[in-house]
Amino acid sequence: MVMAVAGSAIGLGNFLRFPAKAAANGGGAFMIPYLIAFLLLGIPLMWIEWTLGRYGGGFGHGTAPGIFHSIWRKNRFIKYFGVIGLFGPLVIFIYYSYIESWTLAYSFFSLTGSYRGITGQEMMRAFLHGFQGVERNGYFSGIGTAYFFFICTFILNVAVLYYGIKGGIERLCKVALPLLLSLGLILLLRVVSLGAPNVLHPEWNIANGFGFLWNPDFTALKSAKVWLEAAGQVFFTLSVGIGVILTYASYLSKGDDVALSGLTAAGTNEFAEVILGGGIIIPAAFVFFGPQATGEIAVSGVFNLGFVTMPLIINSMPWSQITGFCWFLLLFLAGITSSVSLAQPVIAFMEDEFGLKRQKAVIIFAVTAFLLCQPVIFFLKNGVVDELDFWGGTVFLVVFATIETILFSWVLGMQNAWEEIHKGADLAVPSVYKFIIKYVTPLFLFAILGMWFFQQWLPVIMMKEVPPQDKPFVLATRCVLLGIFILLVSLVRTAWKRRESGREGK
Amino acid sequence: MTAGGWVFFIIFWFGIIALNIFCFVKVFSRKELK
Repeated sequence: MVMAVAGSAIGLGNFLRFPAKAAANGGGAFMIPYLIAFLLLGIPLMWIEWTLGRYGGGFGHGTAPGIFHSIWRKNRFIKYFGVIGLFGPLVIFIYYSYIESWTLAYSFFSLTGSYRGITGQEMMRAFLHGFQGVERNGYFSGIGTAYFFFICTFILNVAVLYYGIKGGIERLCKVALPLLLSLGLILLLRVVSLGAPNVLHPEWNIANGFGFLWNPDFTALKSAKVWLEAAGQVFFTLSVGIGVILTYASYLSKGDDVALSGLTAAGTNEFAEVILGGGIIIPAAFVFFGPQATGEIAVSGVFNLGFVTMPLIINSMPWSQITGFCWFLLLFLAGITSSVSLAQPVIAFMEDEFGLKRQKAVIIFAVTAFLLCQPVIFFLKNGVVDELDFWGGTVFLVVFATIETILFSWVLGMQNAWEEIHKGADLAVPSVYKFIIKYVTPLFLFAILGMWFFQQWLPVIMMKEVPPQDKPFVLATRCVLLGIFILLVSLVRTAWKRRESGREGK
Repeated sequence: MTAGGWVFFIIFWFGIIALNIFCFVKVFSRKELK
């Protein structure tokens, strides 16, 4: 189960999002708010989710509506707050599985040398846009190739899910995680051994490449944005506030150690993020393109970093086809271990609350998710992914984590919660975390929500930063999201009504 | 890389490696006990 949670946490964000955020927000100094957020938000939320998941599992509930209801039975509305724990992972799955399919496609393109002759940013961007179907050009005549790789990725995901937690997800993670970490170490060693490949610029060497990421710029600490970015990265990378860990932990028994499991999953994720993720893309970009271009690359966005800059770096290396294949295969493995976990809460909900067989639940999920993926594929250029990521992958994560923390420390009660964490545990959680979980973590979460509300609420709602031609698409995406949310609420209502009428019937 | 950069680099790299060693030693010793 630790492998499954670590596989869920280690995703594309570790290898693309983290290095870009760190380099763009003060380098080594970014690691100060990052460490603080890790200790005050990441680790406590890991323990909270592992513990709540196992607690709810004891009552036969594997997803947030049932788990929340188990904790606060007197409150008839709390189960509806748990809908966020189904909504978030489903929404993330919709766009994540498509982005994951790009990594599979690029690993194939690397082997076949499809982008090998491309040397400039503009041309590589045209290759990506042609592949995505955003524009027709000499590289691709339409979206067909991207759609083919999406279908392959989607079928792989469904196949893993079809065989269940033990036969599918755990088996996948047992193979994919060691392979992913091995590929990461091979690429790290390859980057470290690059030295100074540009003879005209001996200062563009690997030590300075690491320096670009790690040299501290302490002025960055005065910026609230840097602190928010660090907290957001910790959230995103550990997969907390989504609902996935709750579902995985619900399969544990009272004798399993949730304190150690949570810490181990977080530690493995940090290894992949800071050591592997921080040691590959930015240092490699530095030695080939120099400090100025690397600075521009760091702020150019995750897609640009992964699918434009990295192929160019790979093209500059010896054995570029094999190196490229290893890099994109690593990203694909990181992606698939995360995407199968994102599907799990909705499937578990259908199994637990409606008594559906696993295979039937997987088929219903697959058909629904496949249909919902279509706007992402065909309206990519119109801001659909950004909108889904904003609501499903950012705002609701923080809201959900806040609800979980309140339920854990204030409703279940810190004394009960503390006993629950330590059931079957070899690891004694430091008692300072009693104070942190009860006061510091919720205050930290409220501060994030409050700052977001004051800084971004109105411009986001009014779509002030959305280009006029994309507004109808963004609005339509919001309507679909609202529809999904209402549908999930009504499903929870139906499930509880069925349960109540079943009880009365007995 | 500046001295400050090395300090951050070493603290984080070795800190994370130490955390992983601690956790996995605990996990595997627990399995052995079972």
